[in-house]
Amino acid sequence: MLGREEWLPLARKLDWDYSYVREDEVFPEVISGRPWLPHSEWKDWEESFKTSYREYVDNQYEKDMAVQAVHDAVGRIENVQKLALPWLNSLKVHAAALPLAEFTGVIGNLRGARFGRDSAWRTMATFGALDEYRHTQIPLLLFHPLLRLDSQFDWAHKFYHTNNWFAVAARHFFDELTVGQNAIEFHIATNVVLETGFTNLQFVGLASLARESSDHMFERMVTSIQTDEARHAQIGHPVLATVMKHDPKYTQYLVDKWFWRNWRLFSILTGLSIDYLTAPEQRPYSFKEFMEEWIIDQFLRTLDEFGLEKPWYWDLLMDELDIYHHMIYASAYSYRATLWFNFVIPGPAERKWLRQKYPKYWDDMDAVWEQISERWRTVGPGAENELAVHGTAMPTFCDLCQLPLSAGTPRKNTARVLVHDGRKYIFCSEPCQWIFLHEPERYANHKDIVKRVLSGEAPAQLPNLLTEYFNLTPDTWGKDAHNGNYEWLGAGKDLAA
Amino acid sequence: MPIPLYGFLQGDVVGLLILADDRDTLEALARKLQAAASLRVASRDLVRVVYNDKTMDLTMTVAQAGLQALDRFDVLSG
Repeated sequence: MLGREEWLPLARKLDWDYSYVREDEVFPEVISGRPWLPHSEWKDWEESFKTSYREYVDNQYEKDMAVQAVHDAVGRIENVQKLALPWLNSLKVHAAALPLAEFTGVIGNLRGARFGRDSAWRTMATFGALDEYRHTQIPLLLFHPLLRLDSQFDWAHKFYHTNNWFAVAARHFFDELTVGQNAIEFHIATNVVLETGFTNLQFVGLASLARESSDHMFERMVTSIQTDEARHAQIGHPVLATVMKHDPKYTQYLVDKWFWRNWRLFSILTGLSIDYLTAPEQRPYSFKEFMEEWIIDQFLRTLDEFGLEKPWYWDLLMDELDIYHHMIYASAYSYRATLWFNFVIPGPAERKWLRQKYPKYWDDMDAVWEQISERWRTVGPGAENELAVHGTAMPTFCDLCQLPLSAGTPRKNTARVLVHDGRKYIFCSEPCQWIFLHEPERYANHKDIVKRVLSGEAPAQLPNLLTEYFNLTPDTWGKDAHNGNYEWLGAGKDLAA
Repeated sequence: MPIPLYGFLQGDVVGLLILADDRDTLEALARKLQAAASLRVASRDLVRVVYNDKTMDLTMTVAQAGLQALDRFDVLSG
């Protein structure tokens, strides 16, 4: 019987020559990805973990037991009830956005497990698929039972099955990233850009916030998930290196495109949690500080390692670190009934903190919050006044990222209209338009929420849009977590100055 | 016939869909956008309407200005 060291290399690196079919029939470019190269160009594909299935199962079992132990000790409803209100709503965001997005990762990895160009790549992608299935099941297991505490946790299962505007944006992203993607683009976009870069926001940044917020269950969950990510993220690097060798221009495009698309989604998912949905005394850093230390520096090192350039939009991205998620949060607050979680208005102490962290544009944001606060002062606090402090006109969305047209600054929004093949499109920013124009056949027929309303596909009246199209109910749609009842609001304007 | 337009009010954080009447003056159009964004931005008396990078005459109608469905217009402080 072979020992592990003899058996494993044979089992995980097992390729052969085809005699009844051609290689390009076994691995068609349309689903394996481009550039299409003969296996001789992929045969040196390697990663450092070299795990066997038995080792994988043993390791995962240990990790699952550890999560279960923490859940039993501190993950019960009575523990969750003790969490600060803003953080509880951050959990609702992640309870909805995370599990089924991870499930789409199963599909992407399974494509790699069949259409990856080397057997070791396919072996690793099989483990990646099992990982992502675990990342679906754990948050569903932990979050969905919280439905007994708060009906908004129902969105852990429901979110991706609705036409809620944020679900439309998230589906647009994950359908392209994982569900409908060829193996090469999937592994570069997911492993290199998302998992090596942006999931640090989730798994390092949010784990740290969870610890500060005394949410040890969430901390354990994301830390456990991160150990899987660190392993299967290794698939992407040798894929990137080979594609870079043969087509550097295409490689640069993929990295530029997916860094932007990830930035758009994660600045919302994580930016709002760090800077608004965590109690100020529990914030160890701002979203911008975290991005600079954990994402930007690491991404630049990765680019350097592979001989890639900074994306052409780099200066714009650096500028957006100061403002984009703030504009999104204020927009979302004023249309909170369109979402499934509750919001808080930043009070005087938080606005002071935000001004210190984001001096460049905070004057403009402060004016917006003062105006919203003034509306609450006028109508008075109370659940019955929620819709009096809510937007009435329809907000608008980008035809690429499907997110609100909230880019640029309050002084100058960067939305841009484009006529393409006789049809009018609008984009939140130059990079979103640039991506569209590179692959119009991929994006042109997708309708954003505004176009769906204008074509009669979605109801135009807000109450009908919320209930019939976004699948919300008066119980579950988002509200001010305090119904406008803030002590500082009664104290007048001076406190916020 | 209402014309759906993308309106951007200076000081606001999101673009809004404004249904304009082609007989509306641009000043009336600007007031519609200000009213729609009033939760977040205090209204100002002096405004400018910018369309295709040009500051427009506020007495012109939407039709005279050539605004068409799904065009962008901006309302800036005067």
